[in-house]
Amino acid sequence: MDNSSQPQRLTGGMVDRKQALEFQFNGKSFTGHPGDTLASALLANGQRLVGRSFKYHRPRGIFTSGSEEPNALVQFRSGASHEPNTRATTTELYDGLTATSQNHRGSLNFDLMAVNDYISPMLSAGFYYKTFMWPKAFWEKVYEPIIRNAAGLGRLASEPDPDTYDKGFLHCDVLIIGGGPAGLSAALTAARSGARVILGDEDFEFGGRLLAETYEVDGKLGSEWVANAITELSAMDNVRIMRRTTIYGAYDHGIYGALERKTDHLASSGGKPRQVLWRIYSKRAILCAGSIERSIAFGNNDRPGVMLAGAVRSYVNRWAVTPGKKVAVFTNNDDGWRTAKDLADKGVDVTAIIDTRRDTSFEAPRDTKRVLGAHVVNTTGRLGLQSITLSDGQTILADCLAVSGGWNPNVHLTCHQRGRPVWSDTLAAFTPGSELPTGMIVAGAANGTLTLGQTLREAHEVAATVALDLGHIRSTGSPSTADDEPSAITAFWHVGESRNRAWVDLQNDVTTKDVKQSHQEGFRSVEHLKRYTTLGMATDQGKTANLLGLAIMAECTDQSIADTGTTIFRPPYTPVPIGALGGRARGKDFRPTRLTPSHEWAKAQGAIFIETGAWLRAQWFPKSGETHWRQSVDREVIQTRQSVGVCDVTTLGKIDVQGRDAAEFLNKIYANAFGKLQVGRVRYGLMLREDGIAMDDGTTARMSEHHFVMTTTTANAVPVFRHMEFCRQCLWPDLDVHLISTTEQWAQFAIAGPNSRKLLEHVVDDGVDLSNEAFPFMGCAEITVCGGVRARLFRISFSGELAFEIAVPARYGNSMMDVLMTAGKPYNVVPYGTEALGVMRIEKGHAAGNELSGQTTARDLGMGRMVSKKKDSIGSTLSERPELNRDDGYTLVGFVPVDRSKKLTSGAHFVAKNVAPTTANDQGYMTSVAFSPSLGHSIGLGFIERGADRTGDIVQAVNLLANEAVDVEVVSPHFYDPQGGRLRD
Amino acid sequence: MTELILKSQLPLDGRSLNYPGITIEEITDQSLVSIAVPIDGAAELNAALQSAYGTERPAVGKCTNGSMDNAIFLGLSQDQFFIMFDDAKLNDKGGDPAALIRDSIGHAAYVVDQSDGWVMTRVSGDSCRAALERICPIDLHPAMFSTGNVARTVMEHLATIIVCQAPDTYILLSPRSSANSFLHALDTSAKNVA
Repeated sequence: MDNSSQPQRLTGGMVDRKQALEFQFNGKSFTGHPGDTLASALLANGQRLVGRSFKYHRPRGIFTSGSEEPNALVQFRSGASHEPNTRATTTELYDGLTATSQNHRGSLNFDLMAVNDYISPMLSAGFYYKTFMWPKAFWEKVYEPIIRNAAGLGRLASEPDPDTYDKGFLHCDVLIIGGGPAGLSAALTAARSGARVILGDEDFEFGGRLLAETYEVDGKLGSEWVANAITELSAMDNVRIMRRTTIYGAYDHGIYGALERKTDHLASSGGKPRQVLWRIYSKRAILCAGSIERSIAFGNNDRPGVMLAGAVRSYVNRWAVTPGKKVAVFTNNDDGWRTAKDLADKGVDVTAIIDTRRDTSFEAPRDTKRVLGAHVVNTTGRLGLQSITLSDGQTILADCLAVSGGWNPNVHLTCHQRGRPVWSDTLAAFTPGSELPTGMIVAGAANGTLTLGQTLREAHEVAATVALDLGHIRSTGSPSTADDEPSAITAFWHVGESRNRAWVDLQNDVTTKDVKQSHQEGFRSVEHLKRYTTLGMATDQGKTANLLGLAIMAECTDQSIADTGTTIFRPPYTPVPIGALGGRARGKDFRPTRLTPSHEWAKAQGAIFIETGAWLRAQWFPKSGETHWRQSVDREVIQTRQSVGVCDVTTLGKIDVQGRDAAEFLNKIYANAFGKLQVGRVRYGLMLREDGIAMDDGTTARMSEHHFVMTTTTANAVPVFRHMEFCRQCLWPDLDVHLISTTEQWAQFAIAGPNSRKLLEHVVDDGVDLSNEAFPFMGCAEITVCGGVRARLFRISFSGELAFEIAVPARYGNSMMDVLMTAGKPYNVVPYGTEALGVMRIEKGHAAGNELSGQTTARDLGMGRMVSKKKDSIGSTLSERPELNRDDGYTLVGFVPVDRSKKLTSGAHFVAKNVAPTTANDQGYMTSVAFSPSLGHSIGLGFIERGADRTGDIVQAVNLLANEAVDVEVVSPHFYDPQGGRLRD
Repeated sequence: MTELILKSQLPLDGRSLNYPGITIEEITDQSLVSIAVPIDGAAELNAALQSAYGTERPAVGKCTNGSMDNAIFLGLSQDQFFIMFDDAKLNDKGGDPAALIRDSIGHAAYVVDQSDGWVMTRVSGDSCRAALERICPIDLHPAMFSTGNVARTVMEHLATIIVCQAPDTYILLSPRSSANSFLHALDTSAKNVA
């Protein structure tokens, strides 16, 4: 034993003694070695007390050696990187590691909150529900804050997480979950067959229990066999070996979630993602998750120093650490005896072995008391175990008690799709049920095959069958062999004669008394037991606790455990940080950004941008001296209406429609007729959904006999394309029509205003005649601009002015904006953004997204007559439903405030004057409002009952959110140039 | 005659990024055109492709190589595929790639220029699959996706067409407007594994 800096360190083990690692726990410096976990290093230094319990603030130590740990949860690292509830038992030691204990007020040794332990009779299961009922108002303000403050485990870092995370996708034929003896045996077999294998294990070393035991495999020490297996697997290019990777969830179709801890074992992440969340697509998964030991409930069984026997063997054999100087063993199965032997072989003083069974023939090590048919009824030692008291009255000195209540197959992932484990009397444990996630097969201890020789064989056979099933016929050789260790057990759950509290669930502080109370109070189903006592609801999901609780409930109800049943497990197997679930989708990386072709130009002009879906569009272009957005927008509108303005309208969807039947297709898609549209002409189109509701609108240009170019609204670019593809492929597969999006291909600009033609004349090439006669309103043409660049020109107008839209290949988009500005200089051209665009379309009375809300019909929009009855089109028939054609139905009209100085609000509801603003009195609602610089006052568009007949009516526009009502007059929706003379000139 | 000049700009300005084992570069000298097969026109189109490019139209998920302009045909769906080819024959100003294809295959198909709709990148190097693993949901293992395979998929929310051009060499096409976001996704993946 090395008595200098690590007094509990033994010889041997899998730590690298040549290198010393410094680490700090609660500010105190310790040393350990590479290969240590934080838990093994703390134990090596004699630190038994590592935390306080959840509810009673009882001193707690290290209970296990793996991820099932309920007690040894620490706050890992410090500052912004600090992470609560980190298991010391799985935290790999590195030089400079810092950790602190959690859940105490004052020092770890003297926790003020430990007062809870003394008032524990008041704090039994269900005490919240009973105690804090009155007065009702106190719950939120008084009780809950106090309870929240007192309870809980660690604290979150208050600063943003400085680490990065990533996600990824992996694919394999066979996923092997767990790299212990079964996992390695299965991996070797599957890999030798030629199948693509992923082998994942949560530990940083493969081997599982083989590292913790002294077994031999193929005549070699277990750890040596493991090393050989890993060497062989590493050399195969069809195998991916994933250390520090927890397969945490089984999802649909053979998909598994995995968390790979990339840099948690390093002092610094070096700028790389700390953890990667993988989605693994597997054809088959072999679950080799091993088994988890359980405890026995007896008085004061939670003291630091009370550990699971298998964990004690792990510390002794793998990490060369003895958890105590005087160790006693309490067991109900053969495994306990191996613990005593392993300890004695390492020179540790084993003071006693207590077996609940009377008839075992195992010999105790020399100088070890052998007590059969007895129980541990109590323990002493406030901050760490000092002695145990047996049922026969004798007291035995021990600073560590190794407890073995038997092993539970680790069925966690078998339950993720609601599979229910089944009880085995032979094993005194639940084993995987018959309904497993698709493609999952269980092998080894997880399947209830608890001995080594059988495990190796079974895993080999399972893997060979799977490989064959997947068509891999290469020989896989014979399985590795090992002896089967003694593993007899007689179920024993709790020591009835203990008068003291006996813990069942260490992490949630649930005792046998709580389980009994749950029974007494009628919460007898396992699901009720879980919720009433919180058994198994902590971050460890009760991995070491659940069965104990069930067994005690079974006793109380005088039922078998099989009849009592079990709760099941949900993902994740162990906690997954929110950061990892988020991956790299943080801040601006949350979603992609789409930029318009003239984005760079607009940015250089100081444009204010707005998100429209994923697009960033220029909303307006402020000029120096403008202090309010309205100044910029009004100026853009006025200048456009007076002379000319330019707006990037690329975001509107563009769909190229070609084919011999393209015209017929559009005739069916659009409510209005398109079949006879002439080549070189554009038409406004309205499309309906199947149910007769308006879906989208836009213009479609006929470029040639069999070639149309459709535009959609920005928001509906994708839904319309998808709808049309559906129609093409599924409804009318016989039509020769072909679609492709060209939204991104063409940069398109609206050039609006009385001088738009003059501006364009500077841009188009010789021979392009823009005169009204040659290129009238609703004309289109393929032309060239700027000396040969191909372009498409459309004479369409959203603003109500003489206007064109010109499209050039997107590569010229940014430059085109510059060109248009240069060409427009003599005409005082202005760039305008989406806000001015919106103002002008409201002035003109054009419907947009606000009006095409998915609730309105062509009739509501004042376009009922556009729904052609001379042909069939989507939505035409159902638009005739009586409910959609009521006399008192909505119609789109315009609104102006009676007091022109008042501002209108979008979303306001219309009610008659002097009537209460209630649902019963509701007559409609305002959809779009703007300040009209052309008219000098606020204007609005909206839907109101019988709107067409109500010109001149005065109603209230009520905005209940701001508690205001404005008297408005019903007017035509066409505020600006209602005759349309301007756009036809 | 206008004096105004339009300047052409690539979605990523021709940028390339290098990390150990991973190169990300914008493809700057290729055009992209979609070709749709008319109903009952497959045979005629195949004949036209055979005579112009010495190949037939690709099966879905597969690429075929044409005999001129380094053309690759990408089989994307039953009645539509893309051709990627050197744009050397097009003059910089207004050269119409769709017209070039129309010239090659006559009127056997409906063609649409897509060259400006996509950012075209090439990701290559020994570690490029490790980088793509972080964003590409499809299986790029050579046994599953080897030279001459093409797939449509989604990476970091962005529509992507991926082509395996050669071992450890992939062509990725994604919409032009989000080219910067796409490059950022590739760049982050490369940094995270390099």
